[in-house]
Amino acid sequence: MRALGKRFGDLIAVKGIDLDVPRGSFFGLVGPNGAGKTTTLSMVTGLLRPDSGQAFVLGHDVWADPVAAKRLLGVLPDGLKLFDRLTGLQLITYAGLLRGMPRDLATSRATELIAALGLSEAQGKLVVDYSAGMTKKTTLACALVHAPRVLVLDEPFEAVDPVSAATIRRILEDYVAAGGTVVLSSHVMDLVQRLCSHVAVIADGQVLAVGQTDDVRSGRSLEERFVELVGGSVEVEGLSWLRTSSD
Amino acid sequence: MVAHLLRLKLLLLRNLFRRSRAQTIGLIAGIVYFSFAVVGVAVLLGSLRTSLDDARIVIPLVGAGTIVLWTIVPLFTFGSDPTLDPARFATFAVPTRDLAIGLALSALIGLPAIATCVVMAGVFVAWTMTPGSAVVGLMCVVIGVLTAVTTSRWVSARATGALQSRRGRDGLAIAGLLLLLVAGPLVAFIGSSGSDAKSTAALLSDVIGWTPLGWVWAAPTDIAAGNVVIGLLRLLLGALTLYVVGRLWARAVADQVENPRAVARSDAGVAADGDLGLLARTADTPGGAVAGRVLTYYRRDPRFQVALITTPLVPLLLLVPFTVGDVLWAPLLMGPLVAFLLGFGEHNAVAYDSDAVWLHLVTATPGVADRRGRLISSALLALLLVPAYTLVGAGLGQRLDLVGGLLGLSVALLGAGYGLSSVMNVVLPYPVPESGESPFASPPGAAGATLLAQTVASIGTTVVAAPVLVLAWLGWQGQVWAVWATAVLGMALGVGAALVGICIGARLFERRGPELLAALRRT
Repeated sequence: MRALGKRFGDLIAVKGIDLDVPRGSFFGLVGPNGAGKTTTLSMVTGLLRPDSGQAFVLGHDVWADPVAAKRLLGVLPDGLKLFDRLTGLQLITYAGLLRGMPRDLATSRATELIAALGLSEAQGKLVVDYSAGMTKKTTLACALVHAPRVLVLDEPFEAVDPVSAATIRRILEDYVAAGGTVVLSSHVMDLVQRLCSHVAVIADGQVLAVGQTDDVRSGRSLEERFVELVGGSVEVEGLSWLRTSSD
Repeated sequence: MVAHLLRLKLLLLRNLFRRSRAQTIGLIAGIVYFSFAVVGVAVLLGSLRTSLDDARIVIPLVGAGTIVLWTIVPLFTFGSDPTLDPARFATFAVPTRDLAIGLALSALIGLPAIATCVVMAGVFVAWTMTPGSAVVGLMCVVIGVLTAVTTSRWVSARATGALQSRRGRDGLAIAGLLLLLVAGPLVAFIGSSGSDAKSTAALLSDVIGWTPLGWVWAAPTDIAAGNVVIGLLRLLLGALTLYVVGRLWARAVADQVENPRAVARSDAGVAADGDLGLLARTADTPGGAVAGRVLTYYRRDPRFQVALITTPLVPLLLLVPFTVGDVLWAPLLMGPLVAFLLGFGEHNAVAYDSDAVWLHLVTATPGVADRRGRLISSALLALLLVPAYTLVGAGLGQRLDLVGGLLGLSVALLGAGYGLSSVMNVVLPYPVPESGESPFASPPGAAGATLLAQTVASIGTTVVAAPVLVLAWLGWQGQVWAVWATAVLGMALGVGAALVGICIGARLFERRGPELLAALRRT
């Protein structure tokens, strides 16, 4: 994937972002709340029409040639509902069938994904009865079922328990090792620092820093560098009454 | 503490008017409209002051009805005002007694309570026949209203457990639907029994007057009629009822505050491992998958079940003029009507998916597959219902010679509806209850869009099918050639309209996907 350029006229949410995600990289997108991460990822995945600019997936323009681009993409959006009256197995298979996969293949892959993500016990339950973490894992499985070349994941680790997070991390690392590309957004700096080969810091709809993770953090932890870039103080003023041990 | 809760409720009431301007205007229009109805009822009740006999019959019925309505309605509009749910106060250290009293009284602040009070003012006026009945009447009105409100809170609190499980909610919704369906014919039946309606009402009123629902509502008329002992006894029993209900409510509050999470529990699985259900039985294509998913929803989602149950029942209403008024032509319309309803019913299909439709967007689901898949479940129903109702209708109307024409007309209406719906559910989706909400809940501020879309859909369907409608009318007038022309043209027009609509709708779906998603997210 190259030349992922996006420009937006006066849109407040995202003010013209230019990003190149190298093929085969594990790309982290970090930024404070309301920085425009979800907006950016929505425009890349064809869920939100940009006011200006273009997005390419392996050379295919997402908005001029959506079918070819979307075939290569696996997407996990944040804050959108699912067809939650289906069971987990049904939903993942459904995602495969919509991609035009034969039913046998979709079903066997869905079953494998369910086992890998530790959802076997719950596969016959309705997604509406799942916990937040299970729902997240099911959505991830929907994004993986057609073996995409590029994964775009919005907050894939939110509400996921540590064991599942480790599983997801392994799956994603294997995927990147096999030549796939992952773009994910996250609030958890530690995780991004450990996981991602590349990182982009965005705030206020603009890119503040981008590059290889080690270059961006330049010797310090990503969290320190992030706070420095985004600005804002971590010193807490007041609240002295909260320190009850001083009684 | 009680004052704090009342102030909180007042604040919530005021914030009702702080939403968007359109919503506020709609709300005010609704209030004005209902005000007339409520004041009218109150004046009518007040006028019973001059007629002791009528008051004795009517007021207990009205009072008991008030209590029953207060108890039942909140169960079906659940989710409308969970703000003052006792469980929400679990993390605050509020004495249970204060909380129970405060929450019950706060239910008195609100539009339904104001309406109730206006009606009850009318009841009080009716009871000012003698000084004694006026004094007892005042006490009875207060006790009665408090009983209604407290019972309402108690039942809601106890039902919360059932309501928080999905199965409980779905079950309740279906039960409510059946109740509604049964209530209509029942009322019609009682109404048609005509002359003895008054004696039936008098009997019912007498019975209710000796139940907890009716004690307070019967007491003042007893006093006015001179039966002081019975009147005072009923007043005492009514006060006792309020006390008992109050204690029950207080205990419910205590339970919820002490153990707020106990009511949430998960449901068991619905399918065996590896079982794809209906998804395994439809065609092995994206369109087949969409059809399988919609069919699954018909089985699991009460919002779809409401449509599934009501659509076949509505045409049966045509049998009422047939049986009661000997209108022979009424049943002839059964087939065309069910066809119209099925076609029309799809005009907002995408909105029921809400923003889950993102999955169709990111998978680049072909528009034709999406459109066709959505129609298949409805078409299966049509395949069953349209011929059956057409034949039965023609048989009852003794016009079997018109069957061909009626079928043609039905297909034309169905196809026109499908074609128009395939375009409209992309272009003009309007808010519907979310999955898991009551199918009867109406999303706030949606009335305008709903009315517009439904008008466009119904008029549009009629306009598209107009040539066939004209031919069908000629056929009914006795032109034999027109009957067969209706049959042929109807089939052609229906199939053609559906195909054209699907093609246009498919192109729009592919082009306007992000805009559709944005519209659904806003709703």
